[in-house]
Amino acid sequence: MRNGTLSSWLLLGEWKAHLVQAAVVITAIALGVALGFAVHLVNTAAINEFLAVTKSLSGQSDLQVRGTQATFDELLYPALAQRNGVELANPVLELDVAIPGTTGDRKNTTLKILGLDIFRASSISPNLIGMPAEDRQFDTLANDAIFLSPAAMEWLRVKRGDPLQLRVGTQTVMLRVAGGLVRTRAGQRIGVMDIGAAQWRFNRIGELSRIELKLMQGINHDVFKAVLTQELGGQYLVIETADQEARVANMSRAYRVNLNMLALVALFTGAFLVFSTQVLSVVRRRHQFALLRVLGLTRRQLLGQILLEGAILGTIGSLLGLALGYVMATMTLSVFGGELGGGFFTGIQPSVHFDSFTATIFFILGLGVTLLGSAAPAWEAANTHPAPALKSGGEEAALMKLETPWPALACLALGGSLTQLPPIFDLPIFGYLAIALLLIGGIALMPRLSALIFSAVFLVVTRRSATITTLALTRLANAPNQAAVALGGVLASFSLVVAMAIMVTSFRVSVDNWLKHILPADLYVQTAASGDTRGLTPDEVKVLSATSGISRADFFRSSKLMLDPTRPSIVLIARPIDMTDPGNTLPMTDEAIVPALLPKDAIPIWVSEAMVDLYGYTLGKRLTLPIGVSASSFVVAGVWRDYGRQFGAIQMQLTDYQALSGDLKVNDAALWLQTDVTPSQVITSLKRLPFGSALEFSEPSQIRALSLNIFDRSFKITYLLEAVAIIIGLLGVAASFSAQTLARTKEFGILRHIGVTRRQILSMQAIEGGLLTGLGIVLGFVLGWCISLILVFIVNPQSFHWTMQLNLPWKGLIAVALVLLVSAALTALVSGRHAVSGNAIRAIREDW
Amino acid sequence: MLELRHIGKAYANGQRVLTDLSYTLGDKEYVSIMGESGVGKSTLLNLIAGLDTPDSGEILIDGITITSLDDDAATRLRRKQFGFVFQAFHILPYLTLRQNIALPLLLNGAPRKLIEERTTQMLGEIGLHGRGQNFPHQLSGGELQRVAIARALIHRPKLILADEPTGNLDSDTAQQILMLMRTEIKENGASGILVTHSHATATTADKVLVLTKNGLAPIESAHTKDSHQRR
Amino acid sequence: MQFFKHHLGHIGCPRSDEHRVMLFERMIFFSLYLVAACAFAEPLRLPPQFSPVTPDLELTFPHDFGAHPGFRTEWWYVTGWLETPDKKPLGFQITFFRIATVSDRANPSRFAPKQLIIAHAALSDPDVGKLLHDQKSAREGFGLAYAKEGNTNIKLNDWHMIREENGHYQTIIKAHDFTFHLSLIPSQPLMLQGNNGFSRKGPRPEQASYYYSEPHLQVTGTIIHHDKPITVIGTAWLDHEWSTAYLDPSAEGWDWVGANLDDGSTLMAFRIRSKNDDEVWAYAVLRDASGRITQFTPEQVRFDPKRTWRSPRTGATYPVSMRIQTGSTEWLLTPLQDDQELDSRQSVGAVYWEGAVTITRDGKPAGRGYFEMTGYVKPLKL
Repeated sequence: MRNGTLSSWLLLGEWKAHLVQAAVVITAIALGVALGFAVHLVNTAAINEFLAVTKSLSGQSDLQVRGTQATFDELLYPALAQRNGVELANPVLELDVAIPGTTGDRKNTTLKILGLDIFRASSISPNLIGMPAEDRQFDTLANDAIFLSPAAMEWLRVKRGDPLQLRVGTQTVMLRVAGGLVRTRAGQRIGVMDIGAAQWRFNRIGELSRIELKLMQGINHDVFKAVLTQELGGQYLVIETADQEARVANMSRAYRVNLNMLALVALFTGAFLVFSTQVLSVVRRRHQFALLRVLGLTRRQLLGQILLEGAILGTIGSLLGLALGYVMATMTLSVFGGELGGGFFTGIQPSVHFDSFTATIFFILGLGVTLLGSAAPAWEAANTHPAPALKSGGEEAALMKLETPWPALACLALGGSLTQLPPIFDLPIFGYLAIALLLIGGIALMPRLSALIFSAVFLVVTRRSATITTLALTRLANAPNQAAVALGGVLASFSLVVAMAIMVTSFRVSVDNWLKHILPADLYVQTAASGDTRGLTPDEVKVLSATSGISRADFFRSSKLMLDPTRPSIVLIARPIDMTDPGNTLPMTDEAIVPALLPKDAIPIWVSEAMVDLYGYTLGKRLTLPIGVSASSFVVAGVWRDYGRQFGAIQMQLTDYQALSGDLKVNDAALWLQTDVTPSQVITSLKRLPFGSALEFSEPSQIRALSLNIFDRSFKITYLLEAVAIIIGLLGVAASFSAQTLARTKEFGILRHIGVTRRQILSMQAIEGGLLTGLGIVLGFVLGWCISLILVFIVNPQSFHWTMQLNLPWKGLIAVALVLLVSAALTALVSGRHAVSGNAIRAIREDW
Repeated sequence: MLELRHIGKAYANGQRVLTDLSYTLGDKEYVSIMGESGVGKSTLLNLIAGLDTPDSGEILIDGITITSLDDDAATRLRRKQFGFVFQAFHILPYLTLRQNIALPLLLNGAPRKLIEERTTQMLGEIGLHGRGQNFPHQLSGGELQRVAIARALIHRPKLILADEPTGNLDSDTAQQILMLMRTEIKENGASGILVTHSHATATTADKVLVLTKNGLAPIESAHTKDSHQRR
Repeated sequence: MQFFKHHLGHIGCPRSDEHRVMLFERMIFFSLYLVAACAFAEPLRLPPQFSPVTPDLELTFPHDFGAHPGFRTEWWYVTGWLETPDKKPLGFQITFFRIATVSDRANPSRFAPKQLIIAHAALSDPDVGKLLHDQKSAREGFGLAYAKEGNTNIKLNDWHMIREENGHYQTIIKAHDFTFHLSLIPSQPLMLQGNNGFSRKGPRPEQASYYYSEPHLQVTGTIIHHDKPITVIGTAWLDHEWSTAYLDPSAEGWDWVGANLDDGSTLMAFRIRSKNDDEVWAYAVLRDASGRITQFTPEQVRFDPKRTWRSPRTGATYPVSMRIQTGSTEWLLTPLQDDQELDSRQSVGAVYWEGAVTITRDGKPAGRGYFEMTGYVKPLKL
């Protein structure tokens, strides 16, 4: 068979003549694949590096013992070290210590410091051993020495021998940089000290963060772990390395999955574009295909021919996309590190690892999307009767099948019902499926809708409007399918943009309101932005409250609790809570027990929404928490909204907490000022206190600005992905219009013959483009609004465990809509120019 | 070689066009079919080509009933045994003349060498020698129809089906094309059916048939036949 | 005595070849540094004051069997010969060190590294062809590692050495390649070295230690070797030495021998070599079975290499067979096996030769002992 030759003749001939359309398809697929692949590569690199960093901190231990609270009594250490089956016990005190004088968001103001016993750690985590100067070997045990990773040295701008100031409570601790570490991950900011020195310097005498265990050979880990867990009781967790990895991966999983999904939106939009381009290209060539069928090309050969065309475009596009994605990921990682805005991966320097398996997946995705886009038109072309197709004017007939509304309605209905399903593995899989189905259904319904709408408009408008408008409308009303195909890309991208914009705005407005609610005081004081070493002693609290100009001072104590070894720690916040109405203190959801009805034998706690989703802490539930020496009985008295801690937070009365734990320190203070006092006056007098230089002050407005700044930064990447989706959507408009106008060359020729001017044809084009895009925008808005409901009320609560109120960003949406409208009209115009540039006579004679 | 047996066909709207039509076309016979518009000339051609199926009756080619073939089999038969010439030329715009002409041989899987030789030969026969690399838009209507004739005959089909091949051409050119077609059909030993509404065109065939509601009836035209034979 | 001899060689020239070496090297390296180099003060506080070694102190027992945390360095060093049921000779070594650091005494943390405990164990089996050895180190505390005062009682993880009320020593050493489970029973009185336990190490009076030995210890017990428990008997020698000051800066290395002679007498001799091949100091003592002691001044002691062995691993050449002159007596040391080099550059960073030897007196077999040579791989720099 000479089919290879025939195929290549047909393909080359087609692409030579319609290079732009082929390029558009390739670009769309390449962009989609590239974005998806790049985001995946960056996220994977970041999480792997993050895991490696975490792993480097725990070394080659088999098990870890931790307390449910941040630290526990060190006397567990000798017991574990001498326990049967334990080869080595490595005690670790791990602290995030505040660096005075640094500003910015919370991740950047603390240094992770490990207090290690070099004699134990050297065989369990040999890379974390300090390397002192040749003449100062004792520095590895010295009380004032700290060893820093290269990244930490660079970040803190210190070198061996330099002093390093750290903040502990209101005090400053001065250490000396004694050297580097044996080996740390690139970008890993970490300091290592002698464990005895760390306990002393950071006021952690008698405390450990964890004990890492290496078991003897032949010891059954599961049995050992089970027995130990049982013996240690609820205050301790015995964690296997795998658990720890799960916890680390869990921290950012929702974020990563959502970003990946967002990145795939581009590919999804690309699929619509391929579909519309291929449909129009097949329609344009229906005579050619009919002739080939007459001359003896079988159905299967024709189907194969069109699919081959799609496959080649898909292959080229996907390969280009993989290359582009790899380059993008490499550049992103070298410029921004692994941080795409989620705040999970700061301070690490991952490198891209080309993973052929994932590359294959994305290649198949890209190719699959192209084939899928080509399949329907190919099937249609292969099953067309060649004899009638040889006659002209069958284009619209070929698209008649698109008009059936039932598959579209089925998609919409299925999508709607999927929104009722719960998450899988804490991920809103069904939510995303519902979004995809809504998009497909919405777009599939387009032909029917546009026919209805344009016919209606036609009836209303014709009597009064100019010829050209009438012509444009006539065509749109009578040939709705081609119009609808052109709409697909615009609709897909615009509805996604609308959905994202509504979601982000709702989120932002909710966060802003929430911030206003949780920041009622006039001034906030803390000893350092964050870290494990901050805190005010009871004496300092007294002095602070007594400062003149302050009418009321609330103090907060926050600490970490680990309730589940496979999940990140939750935050426990102890503070004064207004018992007459907790809603005065906390941003409550509607769920709360009236204080008067609370049981007397249990301590009330108020939990964030995440606690309900992740730990099942439903309203009114009785539970025990590892606070203080003995586990006490608590009751969930209410649920509050928390946008700050997606892994869960619990609030309780400060007095309850102090009575239970005996921990009288506080971290932060909220100050209400007397009426005629300004914050700066109070700041001045507080700074004069003996510990005043260690205090940091922020006014609610600053905190709000900072928080919203972080918020905006974390959504930057989503804006970028949206922009790409819009570009692909516009590419779709360009491709559709140029394909259509080429197909309509003859039609334009006839119009020119009967006396329509070139300018009139062009304005007809622009009007058609504008009307189509206008409809696309209106429908896209409706569809996008529906999708945003899913994002706001399903995807967000299911992935991040917080709810929010819906808010619509009218201004931004209208701006985007206008830009889209103008660009679409311009695109249509430019494509039209090409069609009317030729000789009108030739245009008529040119059959196809 | 072609046998129509009691063919009946109605349009999709129910209007009957062909009723109980029977005819037998002999080997190397070249006939033209005339008839009024809408009498079913093109429909008959489509039925013969296997592009459409009759409501009743059957069509046999060399004893094979094509009306019972499935689409693939009908397609294979068509690509081997038929050549087509259309009123609208139907030359693929993005292929060169050589490529357009070579299409049927290519579809039939002929060896490359044969394709090259035959294409060159056909190009010579239609008087477009040396223009094989031209594209269709560089050609006049008459030239395009010559290309179509070459394409119709390159694979030495048994039967040429021509539907108003000169409908888009001026009369001088039309005459040349008809002569060329006749010559080529004869030289390649094919049978031919020429559908036209023009008497002048019809008479270039060996025999003129008229299609009416009652069926196909021959008009023997000694004059035209003689005149062709004299040439 | 032995301790700083062999480790000084290492301190003099630290290697910086490779991370892993460095790493473990440093673990012990810094502690040795305290012994060898002048102490550098922590910037914030004064370093702790260590007790000086003075000639007039009289050792009192059992108190001085125990640890002396006020002194900078201290060790218990057991070496000896074992015999398996099939009469195969083996050499063994068990050493515990206690090092007081300059760490701030004000640190209330239980982890404050005020005292470090380091231990070393080796088994010499000619069938293996080289030494098997292992070592551990830890900070004192939590009952996991300690050197108690009052009587010998030292623990480092699961390594133990304890002196019971009756004077018997019990040792348990679970090393990587072998396990010792040995009882050491004294058969002779203590031997106070130097001047009633005040032992000079150099020309300057402060270069000295408190030093006593327990020779002719009768050994019984079990060792696990090649994963098989073997009942052994034997004879051992224990040194216990503590000091604060250290050696002469010109010293390069040491040669030391302690021998239990068959006639019940005991020989100990050492010399400290200088970098220019002179002797910095030398000393020898011979106690006969009746307890009569003969001491030899530096001028009366001579060490002459008789045969050398070159280590294929380090390239160092050791005089594995040494001729020693004490007064008019000539002793000759012959090693149980040539390769008793302890190449611990992968761990403590020191290379030395520490091995079982037989000894002849004026050409006649006289007994068995342990011989130690340090500073042969790299010259000492202080």
